[in-house]
Amino acid sequence: MFDDFVSSWGLFYPSYITGWLVAFSLSLVGVFVVAKDQIFISAAVAQASSFGVALGLWLSLATGIAWFGSDVALMNSAVLFAVLAALFSSHSIRRDSVEAVTGWIFLSASSGAMLLLTHSPHGTEEVHRLLASSLIGATQFDMWVFVGFAVFTVFMLLRYWQALLLFTLDPRMAATTGLSVWRWGVFKALWLGLAVGLSIRVSGMLYVFACLVLPALVAKRLCGEIGRLLWVTPIIALFASGFGFVFANHYDFPPGQVTVAVLCSLLVLVWFLRANQE
Amino acid sequence: MFKEWRQSLVSAKNILPVEQREKPVINQENQIPLLQVENLSLAYGKRVILENVSFEVHAGEFWFLLGSNGMGKTSFLNCLLGLIPAQHGAYHLHPVLRSRARIGFVPQQCSFNPSLATSVREFVSLGLVGIETHKSEREAALHFALQQLNLTAFAQRNYWSLSGGQQQRVRVARALVRRPYFLLMDEPTNGLDLAVQSALLEDLARLQHEGLTILLVSHDLQLATQYATHVALFNSGKVQAGTAADLLTTPILKQLYGTQQLPHCPHCLTAHV
Repeated sequence: MFDDFVSSWGLFYPSYITGWLVAFSLSLVGVFVVAKDQIFISAAVAQASSFGVALGLWLSLATGIAWFGSDVALMNSAVLFAVLAALFSSHSIRRDSVEAVTGWIFLSASSGAMLLLTHSPHGTEEVHRLLASSLIGATQFDMWVFVGFAVFTVFMLLRYWQALLLFTLDPRMAATTGLSVWRWGVFKALWLGLAVGLSIRVSGMLYVFACLVLPALVAKRLCGEIGRLLWVTPIIALFASGFGFVFANHYDFPPGQVTVAVLCSLLVLVWFLRANQE
Repeated sequence: MFKEWRQSLVSAKNILPVEQREKPVINQENQIPLLQVENLSLAYGKRVILENVSFEVHAGEFWFLLGSNGMGKTSFLNCLLGLIPAQHGAYHLHPVLRSRARIGFVPQQCSFNPSLATSVREFVSLGLVGIETHKSEREAALHFALQQLNLTAFAQRNYWSLSGGQQQRVRVARALVRRPYFLLMDEPTNGLDLAVQSALLEDLARLQHEGLTILLVSHDLQLATQYATHVALFNSGKVQAGTAADLLTTPILKQLYGTQQLPHCPHCLTAHV
């Protein structure tokens, strides 16, 4: 199985490395999503990011300006909508809760993406590709983008782990220590939006959503301290994506879906182990 | 002041009995109030919460903010914490408090995710956010805070596996790890049984005697009569502030709480006489 994987390396290494870096980075960002129990927010942000890609494709078709459909334009559009969704989904609007706002973002982005591209050639296919996840198309450029993002993520966590954690878990307490809640709120929305927006076009919604929440959910069951999530979570993400890619290559399955299946199985396993222990 | 306070904490062996708590520790910094509130008004939109509140808090005092629900006690605390702006007026903090590094805060409840295991040690260490320290200093501060609340033996335990009283002590330790001059507490005794309330207040009273200034939001008149050196009575947007001896009297409390039966307190008896 491993020999097959090694032989495919020359052709697919940008996709493999990009997939691992996406899993690594998103799992670290996901620690904060899971710590706050904001699982649905990450789904809404991923969906809004997909809408950004769909909007770019629609604009290129509707206006005839090819630039709107270029990689750079689609990446920017995905990041923009992911950041906007992250910013809005962390606030209640008037008397409606954060969950209600998040639900609105998820539903409007889902239906909007589909409606925009329904009548365009290959449009529905493109939306389905975004939802279903395909890692095969990643380029060397994508790989280096994610090297940069992974380095940035590690730096931020090493430097500001405790401040980020306190802000995430207890913003009122964080404010009393002198942290600017507004600034940290914007930073976290940008960080989540950037992580999802950069990943979505390369790896699709399924893989992005899974890497955001599943490794941290597995690690949460294994760790007795929040601080340990910081290194256990990316190990789980890398293990699942590593095994998933090798397995998928050998049996000719889509690697994203296999990785998600591995992560889901791991979560069931730790639920079972914890239930037995308790 | 901090060095003195730290030394006093290390050397303090004898704790003054409750009845000797009328006079707080006085030091040179006492001349400048730790907190000076001047004609402070708070409002949510057009709804006025507090109007022209003025009082001063000096080092070593133990303040109880008393009043019924919805009278603006927690809003006032939130204003001091910088969470809501004043509509009119202002409050001034002592220069040593302006960076907020030496202000401790104990919330009423913990907003952490209960499904996320966190050790007592980790929980308390989050109180050091915003303070640049070396690892050895952090360790010393952690040890100090856990020791002050008799939590050293619980350091590795999961916060969520502790009882309500122990969890509240951990929240106090998280505030103390900053080695504060000024401790703000939002209804810390809510939901605790009488024995646990009493033990927590005894710890706070000991810290107050060792130089810590405490401002505590509460509904509990009984605890105020036992532990407060000063009180601020919140009622319909107005605040009466002064020493516990002057304000915890039957006529004033009746005015504040209506016909509710008042707890036994030495000040109230004095007023009757």
